[in-house]
Amino acid sequence: MSRYLLKRIFIFIPTLLVIILLAFIISVKAPGDPLDRMVTAQDGVTDQSSLSWNAQLEKDRWRTKLGLDLPVFYFSITNAATPDTLYRIYDKRLRETSKRLIQAYGNWEEISAYQTSIQELAKQVELTEEELKKYTDTATTLLYRDTVNETFFQVQALKYAYSDATIRSLLQRIRSLSGQHPVMHPIYLAIEQTQSNWTDVVENSQTIKRYIPTIHFYRNNQFHRWVFGDGNWLTAKGAVNTKGIIRGDFGYSYQTKLPVHQVIGDRMRWSLFFSLISVCLAYIISIPLGIRAAAKRNSVFDRTSSVILFVLYSMPTFWVATLLLMGFANPLTIQAFPASGVEPMTGIPEGTSWLQTIAIRIPYLILPTISYTYAQLAFLSRITRVSMLETLSQDYVRTAQAKGLSQFRVIYVHAFRNALLPLITVFSNIFPAAIGGSVILETIFGIPGMGQHIFQAIYSNDYPVIITVFTLTGVLTLVGYLIADILYAIADPRITFSKK
Amino acid sequence: MSENQTTHTSYYTYAWKQFRSHKPALVSLYVLAVLVVIAILAPVIANEKPLYVRYHGETFYPALSWKKQFVIEGENGKKEIIQPDIAEWKRMSFEKVIWAPIPYSPEKTDRLNSGYKSPQDEQLFMRADGNIVPMPSRFRHIMGTNSLGEDVLSGLIHGTRVSLSIGCISMSIAALLGILLGAAAGYFGDTRLRTTRGRFWSTIFGIAVGWFYGFQVRAFVLRDALSGREGNFLLAIGLSLIILVSCILAFSFLGKWLGKLPVLRTQVHIPVDNIVSRTIEILHAMPTFVLILTVAAIARPSLTNVMIIIGLTSWTGIARLVRAELLRIRGLEYIQAARSLGFGEWEIIFRHALPNAIAPALVSIAFGIASAILTESSLSFLGIGVPSDTVTWGSLVNDGRQQFNAWWLVVFPGVAIFMTVTMYNLIGEAMRDAFDPRQKK
Repeated sequence: MSRYLLKRIFIFIPTLLVIILLAFIISVKAPGDPLDRMVTAQDGVTDQSSLSWNAQLEKDRWRTKLGLDLPVFYFSITNAATPDTLYRIYDKRLRETSKRLIQAYGNWEEISAYQTSIQELAKQVELTEEELKKYTDTATTLLYRDTVNETFFQVQALKYAYSDATIRSLLQRIRSLSGQHPVMHPIYLAIEQTQSNWTDVVENSQTIKRYIPTIHFYRNNQFHRWVFGDGNWLTAKGAVNTKGIIRGDFGYSYQTKLPVHQVIGDRMRWSLFFSLISVCLAYIISIPLGIRAAAKRNSVFDRTSSVILFVLYSMPTFWVATLLLMGFANPLTIQAFPASGVEPMTGIPEGTSWLQTIAIRIPYLILPTISYTYAQLAFLSRITRVSMLETLSQDYVRTAQAKGLSQFRVIYVHAFRNALLPLITVFSNIFPAAIGGSVILETIFGIPGMGQHIFQAIYSNDYPVIITVFTLTGVLTLVGYLIADILYAIADPRITFSKK
Repeated sequence: MSENQTTHTSYYTYAWKQFRSHKPALVSLYVLAVLVVIAILAPVIANEKPLYVRYHGETFYPALSWKKQFVIEGENGKKEIIQPDIAEWKRMSFEKVIWAPIPYSPEKTDRLNSGYKSPQDEQLFMRADGNIVPMPSRFRHIMGTNSLGEDVLSGLIHGTRVSLSIGCISMSIAALLGILLGAAAGYFGDTRLRTTRGRFWSTIFGIAVGWFYGFQVRAFVLRDALSGREGNFLLAIGLSLIILVSCILAFSFLGKWLGKLPVLRTQVHIPVDNIVSRTIEILHAMPTFVLILTVAAIARPSLTNVMIIIGLTSWTGIARLVRAELLRIRGLEYIQAARSLGFGEWEIIFRHALPNAIAPALVSIAFGIASAILTESSLSFLGIGVPSDTVTWGSLVNDGRQQFNAWWLVVFPGVAIFMTVTMYNLIGEAMRDAFDPRQKK
């Protein structure tokens, strides 16, 4: 048995790695730079170009902390024109612009010279702005300032422009702006340099290089760091920022800047609570129901319960939940239950005993519990009924009946055990479901569980949390399989895992 | 053969007979046919543009035409231009007009009746002369309006389109993938698909090359097309796929020749079953709904994307069933006979094995459509994936969630989802019974 289980775990490791890899790919391919979100959320600055010096430092600090300054994966397949150091352009938008330019012209040296000259241009614009601050305010200087200001925005646009027509027209515009005033002469010089560099890029394009594939290898990369941490990959010696997923370190949430396990642990309680309660309830109700329906096949009870369960089974959960809220948490109809949350808005007062806490909470939990339970209930009863019907039609059951055993003994002692198997399969699915929570139900009822948090994480591109959810779900699926295997062996003595 | 026809019935005739005896499923099938008709005719059934208009002596069919504007010669020679998309049709006076049965479009707001007008509420109407009068019964919002004053019934009718097409198209993708992969896995197993070492590696190389030229080189073309900036995404991805497939074919052909060389001549097995089974296991160990949510949130909101995502994540059930069937069938004598007669492997799969293995897949597809519709409505209930200006059943229920008193926004679309899902489940169930020989009566 243990050998079988070990083998199963061993087979699952590559599967788990692929799942982590997939989640990682999704997070890398997603648009937007997480650092922008992390740092601007704090400073309230939305325009990237006007980030304060402090924010820039903060950004650099988080970049190294999260390992976003590393190449993405162990290798990258690019065209021959792309240098292997492109990942060092940290600004994601600028990096994409560079990639597009390389894809279009294939001459990295010229392109990088062109981009350096843009940087020089931006610097000159900044210097001119500083210079203008020394002048006293007159109508002319104000005019200067406006012009320099506009130049600044045109240069920002130029930084991210990648089509020849756009670049040329922007260059032309900046040139005509800077030619207006003698103060802006350095800008004029810089723009001439940029213009000639751009002409170089266009004229010396090496299109053939775009079609030659090359492969670059990176030993130290984001994925490696994510999985194995930034120390020794086996012993985690020397790890500074992260120990890696394999040691249970899921990194930092972009949204809250707290370690992911801290965020999730808090949230998991509610999701676990609801899935456990609903599964227990569903099993307690559905097994007798299904067995009774199967034992009295085609009776009135069987028919009505089948129809009702079928109807329940087809009802969308979000609809049922909304209807329940509309019916029982609505001042216009019956306001028996609160509409959302798991406790009063003001929180539970300090010093309440745990019995009182439960009494306060119960009204909040009833509607969600019903919504969580009903679909599983319907599903489980139907499975129990079908599986029981199949077992009851077998010869050994007929033998038991012929022996004169009571109906109760035949059903619960002889038949039930064999009808259990499909129920076990379902049981193994609860663990992964518990971590995902129910995104929909938690959103509707305002339950502060995993589901709601996942939904928020998706909205705010908080990928560390999402990758964690994927990984944990994978692990728990494996645990579910293992538990199911063990339960199978207990329920059905014919099943053994050891080779004879 | 022909003289036997009265006594001998084929499997599918028999199954159909069984299916028909299941009355609820049969009724569902008919209702579904009606829904399909409604979905196809939605623009004619519910449209704010009249079906037929006679204006200044000229005849138009605004609801049925794609014209961006109608130019009309007025009485005193003045030209009048009507832009069908923004015209206030109900305030114009026509000589003769035939309205659509539901004279509202789903995403058009009726400002006079905005703010959750219930079906029984007093609704208002602005006449051609600008006077506001109680709503004439012809123009009543039969199922009320939402906060913006959009007609709920019209939304329901157009939502039928969304739901049915999501169900059909995503399940077509899933069925195609599931049947192909399941059949290959079941039939070939791990050892039966053999090729020379040269051809194997050459084809793998072809995949890499095809990927580079089809997707890596064209990465930005594809990305621009996906974000709708230029070109059509389907066209762009189609071209990429053509490049990929032709590279694979070319290298596979080259491999045929390479396979004659000394070292490369060795036979190798391709573990098809292992590959497919592992892929299924991976998809099973992932939180599918979270995956769909994440991808739908990243991609540009569009129905096509939602269909593709749902299709790509729901083929595993079908593949497992087809695999199991083919594992059984490939050992049967008639398949061995076909092999010894020298039929090609793929021909045996498609012409001889698959037709006998498709029944369980069909059942699974029916249930799959039901769950695809559920997934889509949950997504649009959460406001993810489907464009915000598209009215779907799920988005209507979401409107109702904001205002608990607006029961009509929750009840009607909810019933529509529930009915459709139930019908597909009933059909699936009846099919399962019909295809199961043990249920023979």
